[in-house]
Amino acid sequence: MKRVLIVDDAATVRLYHREILEAAHFAVEEAMNGIEGLEKALQSPFDLYLVDINMPKLDGYGFLRELRGQDLPQAPAIMISTEAESNDEQRAYVAGANLYLVKPVKPDRLLTQVRLLLGDTHP
Amino acid sequence: MGLIKTQPTVESVTEEVRKHPRDCAGLLAQLIDPNPTVRRWAARDLADCPDISAALVERLHQEADISVREVILTTLTGLGDATSVAGLVECLRSEDAARRNEAIEAMRQLPDAVAPIIRGLLADPDPDVRIFAVNILESLCHPEVERWLIEVIDRDPHVNVCGAAVDLLGEVGSGAARESLLRLKARFANEPYIRFAADLALGRLRDA
Repeated sequence: MKRVLIVDDAATVRLYHREILEAAHFAVEEAMNGIEGLEKALQSPFDLYLVDINMPKLDGYGFLRELRGQDLPQAPAIMISTEAESNDEQRAYVAGANLYLVKPVKPDRLLTQVRLLLGDTHP
Repeated sequence: MGLIKTQPTVESVTEEVRKHPRDCAGLLAQLIDPNPTVRRWAARDLADCPDISAALVERLHQEADISVREVILTTLTGLGDATSVAGLVECLRSEDAARRNEAIEAMRQLPDAVAPIIRGLLADPDPDVRIFAVNILESLCHPEVERWLIEVIDRDPHVNVCGAAVDLLGEVGSGAARESLLRLKARFANEPYIRFAADLALGRLRDA
């Protein structure tokens, strides 16, 4: 079972994404900010990271930069933000994101993108 | 015999920094000193100087060192005047997510100063600023928070602004929010996230 870490300070958003992913048989863990996300990733690396941009303590850009600087398997990361401006998207890719999605993400779209990034072609 | 250079201790560096002039003019000059330790001390001690908010706000926008920014924010939060709050509002428009989050945290500590301007922020043309305004409400100890959130979900056209407000109403909402949450679900009937968040909030209303 593939493991996904959701890093987002909004509890409702975490729960929404968790329910979508668990219904599709992914094992999900949560972190409330970038620092907590890094701690969990260092304890046990994940297969995919779903990361918000605006978070206290360490934001999504900082989380990804730190994650990419670690001696860990380079798992794909999706950055999810409320911001649709192109400079945010560019910054996300520079920080190490593999994909940038704008909230709110519909369940089908999220699952399609997660499976594509994990090389899983099952429907 | 070679010369051995001794490294100054943290205490001696601090002592040296504190030997700079401590009058307001001296502290203002130290706010742009190359040494971040000097800048931190200056930002802290400027709290006692009159009419200092504008200079601190100006420095806040330029300061690259996060530890110095934290002290400036603490000083501005302590001052809590209109200039300080206006400076924090400008940070909400920053491209830098860390600066935005620092400003949100600071503004949460200023319920009396922020309350008069929160409606303006919630009506800002930029939806991201409106989302940050909702984020400020999260820890703002003010009796009007629920009413402001209800106004947001009744009127705001942007799905993510409403999403942020619903998320918070799930924590602080009462039965007064019920009808607005039901109307929101109908207004965003094609948005699964809004339906999910509204249902969650409806189930958590304090006197539901």
